[in-house]
Amino acid sequence: MPRNDPHIPRRPLAQRLGAILWPSFFAAGVACMVFFSIVDPLMLRDMTFPDFEIGRMGGYTLGFFLFWAATASSSLFTWLLLRPASRFHGKLNQ
Amino acid sequence: MSEGGQPQTIPLYIKAPKVYPREIKGRFASLRVIAAWVLLGMYYVIPWISVNGQQLVLFDLVNRKFHILGLTLWPQDLIILSLLLAMAALTLFFFTALAGRLWCGYACPQTVWTEVFLWMERITEGRRNQRMRLDAGPWNRNKIVRKSTKQFLWIVFALWTGFTFVGFFVPIRDVAVRALDFNLGGWETFWLFFYAFATYGNAGFLREQVCKYMCPYARFQSAMLDDDSLIISYDVERGEPRGPRKRSANPAELGLGDCIDCMACVQVCPTGIDIRDGLQIECIACAACIDACDDVMDKMGYPRGLIRYSTGNAMAGRPTRILRPRIFIYLGALLALMALVGMTVASRQPLLVDVLRDRTALHRVSDQMLENPYTIKLTNRTEDELHISIAVEGLDGIYVIEPVRPVTVAPSQVANQPLTIGLPLENARAGMHAITVSASDDDGQVHSETETRFFIPARALENAQ
Repeated sequence: MPRNDPHIPRRPLAQRLGAILWPSFFAAGVACMVFFSIVDPLMLRDMTFPDFEIGRMGGYTLGFFLFWAATASSSLFTWLLLRPASRFHGKLNQ
Repeated sequence: MSEGGQPQTIPLYIKAPKVYPREIKGRFASLRVIAAWVLLGMYYVIPWISVNGQQLVLFDLVNRKFHILGLTLWPQDLIILSLLLAMAALTLFFFTALAGRLWCGYACPQTVWTEVFLWMERITEGRRNQRMRLDAGPWNRNKIVRKSTKQFLWIVFALWTGFTFVGFFVPIRDVAVRALDFNLGGWETFWLFFYAFATYGNAGFLREQVCKYMCPYARFQSAMLDDDSLIISYDVERGEPRGPRKRSANPAELGLGDCIDCMACVQVCPTGIDIRDGLQIECIACAACIDACDDVMDKMGYPRGLIRYSTGNAMAGRPTRILRPRIFIYLGALLALMALVGMTVASRQPLLVDVLRDRTALHRVSDQMLENPYTIKLTNRTEDELHISIAVEGLDGIYVIEPVRPVTVAPSQVANQPLTIGLPLENARAGMHAITVSASDDDGQVHSETETRFFIPARALENAQ
């Protein structure tokens, strides 16, 4: 099927969301594990925002979601690049 | 968009029809129930088990150490954790090569929790047909009561699951006490709800869609499967041509195979596929269709096994080889990893010594003595209290000024201790010198050393003269 074929049906929402959120979640988990096994969140805090009242648990959580934000952005980017042209250049293709 | 003036409807997206798996009894269904009890039992019970006041499995993130069945892992032991994960992956490969997607059908948390959520759906909304009617029907009192009871059960169970999840990271008895007081910390509350939400969403709402759209395993399983792996297969030779018939009829006379096309195998399938179409990536090998078909075969008086665990080779009439190179390679790699983990665990040093140079003051001169300040980090990985004396060598006359007395390090604790090393000026030559800091226990059982540098600036020597 050509990439500008408007008849390519959309995938279910669960699949689209899942394909972006889940692999990035997984990658963020691994990155988080490796990162925090080397870096103690408390030391990181002292080096960056020493006035910030945050414990280790908060540091891990924050770190995880930062990683997830980064990996999910990358997944989102990939999704944009792989979308059929007809989806976002509909007018141009007519 | 339109051709020849004919307006065309383009679906916004393919709507996945809701799957209503039919309840099923049978050999494999019982196996799945047993597996669910064992696995969920482990999940919900293990955090509550403590030995000598130490929770048996606790990923104590706050104190940066993992307790796993009596073994304490520190951040420096990441390699052991990685090896354990690699072992888990290889075990998965091994069992997949041997018996197909055993993992998916019996052990995957997605499957197991979905089964529990389905069971709750069944006791509140009824059997498959009742559920379909209920969903199609109007929102009357009966529907509201049944649906809200189901939601109540689901939410309570999901919250309990989230609570248990937090209990793997923070001592669970602590969490329980504080949860009852509504006094949980912010992050604990957050993760409790996050995991509860994930459980609810995955097991209650998404279900088979997780396997179909999100699970990478389904995509790469073909790399592990071959024609000698056990898969769930429909015996086409025997079953086709399919068609309904009376129980008394002789299928041979009607020109029919053994499949009566009752659709039982499709109705019980949690991913909503038809196994008679052959092996599909959606198949999680739960064997529900085997139970369903065996049941029908029994009723018809036909032999069981129209759908059965079989191998590609057996289906094609060729011999199946279980002991093949692939099996030995996976097994060999698994054993090698196991040995590596054993060796790594056994050779762990009971005491870790890290020496960090003090960045604010690299050196001091006082009383004909050149001093370098450091911080020494002593990690006691034993279960005993250690009294550590620190010594230094590498330069003539070098010695430890502080600490004078042995440092006490509690079991499984880290002590951060200021360390000052001094050298008489008369022995000092300018430059960076490698020195060795050693730490040993009173009774000499525990000994560890590390390299660091001693800094003698030329300026300091000039000023002193």
